[in-house]
This record gives sequence, structure tokens and C-alpha cells, in this order.
Amino acid sequence: MLLMTVARQGLCLSRSQFGVLYRHAVPMGTTAKEEMNKFWAKNTQLNRPVSPHVSIYKWSIPMMMSISHRGTGVALSSGISAFALAALVLPESYPYYLDLIHSMTFGPQFLAFSKFALAFPVAYHTFNGIRHLAWDLGKGFKIPEVYRSGYIVIALTVLTSIGLAAM
Amino acid sequence: MKRFISSHRSRAALVHPGDSSHLGLVVRIMAALVRIRSVCCRGVSPLLFRSCSLIRPLAVQKKDRDCPYLISAKIHATPSSYAGSGSKAASLHWTGERILSIVLLGLAPVAYFYPVPAVDYSLAAALTLHGHWGLGQVVTDYVHGDFKIKMANAGLFLLSTVTFAGLCYFNYHDVGICKAVALLWSK
Repeated sequence: MLLMTVARQGLCLSRSQFGVLYRHAVPMGTTAKEEMNKFWAKNTQLNRPVSPHVSIYKWSIPMMMSISHRGTGVALSSGISAFALAALVLPESYPYYLDLIHSMTFGPQFLAFSKFALAFPVAYHTFNGIRHLAWDLGKGFKIPEVYRSGYIVIALTVLTSIGLAAM
Repeated sequence: MKRFISSHRSRAALVHPGDSSHLGLVVRIMAALVRIRSVCCRGVSPLLFRSCSLIRPLAVQKKDRDCPYLISAKIHATPSSYAGSGSKAASLHWTGERILSIVLLGLAPVAYFYPVPAVDYSLAAALTLHGHWGLGQVVTDYVHGDFKIKMANAGLFLLSTVTFAGLCYFNYHDVGICKAVALLWSK
């Protein structure tokens, strides 16, 4: 019975309570960045262990998509940096090396597969990036919406990658 | 929980003597729950760097004459009335990141239909900066300690500089980014 009262009146009452709390608000003298640094400095100095989190929490689609967004981003960035480094270091021109790769190609499936392998992270990062921008506008935070937009991103990624690999 | 409520009720009875009704009890329960919730919020959040953790309830022993069962909250506030360390740098950086993402999004179809040097260099700049800012967020999330942060960011800056230099070199002395992608896909 207590739980029901709590559930029913939780939202509106807590908000009014919060408004009253604000009357006694005092600005802090430190920035958020300083607070975070203090937290890490104190806890690493005390050699405190970090509670298990990613190793014990059940993985969900939004979690996997989020880390994949970061993963594809880091991978693509590394690829671009590697390409730029190669451009500075290697003596010959790009068409030369492209022909070199094609001379030792293992068949059309290899070419199609490598195009797919290149297109997939670009497509995923792009579509999920648009999903992120929608969140930044404040849209699509309800849990069913999060899952729905996630599935759409995955579907678009697969279709786009196949389409690009076929070109 | 019941023990807590009864002691709470006796304390609150000093301030609201007439509040023995059911509604009064519910209000006091809610006040207690908000207090518990705000304490829990503070405990979990700093580990995840959420900004909602900036509200901190003080101990109830604090001299609060007018409302003994309500707690003061220290907050991070940077309104115009609070003269001092309020800087818009982080906020502007965030906005810049989003704008750059949209610019990069728009550059993709332009690169497909108009593979000209101007687009090549714009792509080089946008890709490098987007990657630089993105990796910067990764550093912020996983690297801790003043010296390590400084070293990681210095290394990142070096990497991004070399990347941009390499891409510009490629655009100038070789076929250029747009043509390179076209050639790669033509086979």
C-alpha cells in the first residue's frame, strides 16, 4: 500500500519538494572538472578497487551499439591516420599501390568482401551518428524509441554496406 | 523503514502540529524518499561522470532554523549572478562538435557529385578535426591523472597534425581523396 502511494504520488510531490530544496541552494567553489579530478586522484591514491560493471551487467542492444559507435569511430580514425602516414612515407603514388594490390587479388569475392568490410564501419558510424544527433536535439529518449531507432540503424547499415559493396 | 518514519514524524510534528492526517504522512514519506534518492544519486553517478551528481545533500545536523527536515543542496551554478569561474568553453566545444558532424554529413554527397580539390581539402580538414575531437572524448573518458591526460592529449595532437599533413600532401601530390575512393571502388 505504501509502494502504491509512493508510485502514484512520487513524481509530482518529488518535483515540488525539489523546488523547495532549491531555495537553500548554494553555488560550489569548484568546477565539475576539478571535482572529477579530485575523485580520481583520491581513489587511485587510496588504491581502491573498481566495482565490476561491464563484466557483470547484462549487455543490452543500446549498450552494444554505443560501444560499437565508439569502436568504429576509433577504427576509422586510425585507418585515416594510417593512410595519411603511408601517403607521407611511401615513395610511390596511390594508383601504383592500388594496381599492386589488384595484381595479387584473390578473386572478385575478395574485392566485394573488402568493399563491404570498408563500407560497414563507415555506414554504421554515420547512421548511428545521425541517431546521436537526434538525441542531442532531445528526441527519441523513450526506451522503445531507443530500441526502434537502434534496429533501424542496424538495418540501414547492413543494406547500405551490401549496396556499396555491390557497386 | 517504519522506525525511520515514526522518528521523522515526531521531528516534523514540531513544525507542522496539525499534520496527523493521511496526506500529511504521505508528504513526510515523500520528503524522506526524496532525501534517500538524492543520497543514492550522488553515490552512483560520479563513477559515470553524469552531471546530475552535482546536487549534494548536506547533513541534517546543519543549522537550518526555518525547515529542520528539509536539507540544503549545494549545486554547481553558473548563472550571470554568480560572478567568477563560469566559462562557456566546454559548452561551445560541444556545439562545435555537433556542427562539424553535420558539416561532415553534408560533405559526403557533395564529394560524390563534385569531386574537386576544394572538396578534397574540406574533407581532409573535417575528417581530421572530427576524429581529433572524437578521440579527445575517448581520452577524457579513460585517461586519468594530470600528467597522463596531458601526455595523451599531446600525443593525440601530434597524431592529428600528422594526419592532416598527410592528407593534404596526398591531395596535393597524389590523386586526392575523392578520386582515391572512386579508384578504389572502380575495380
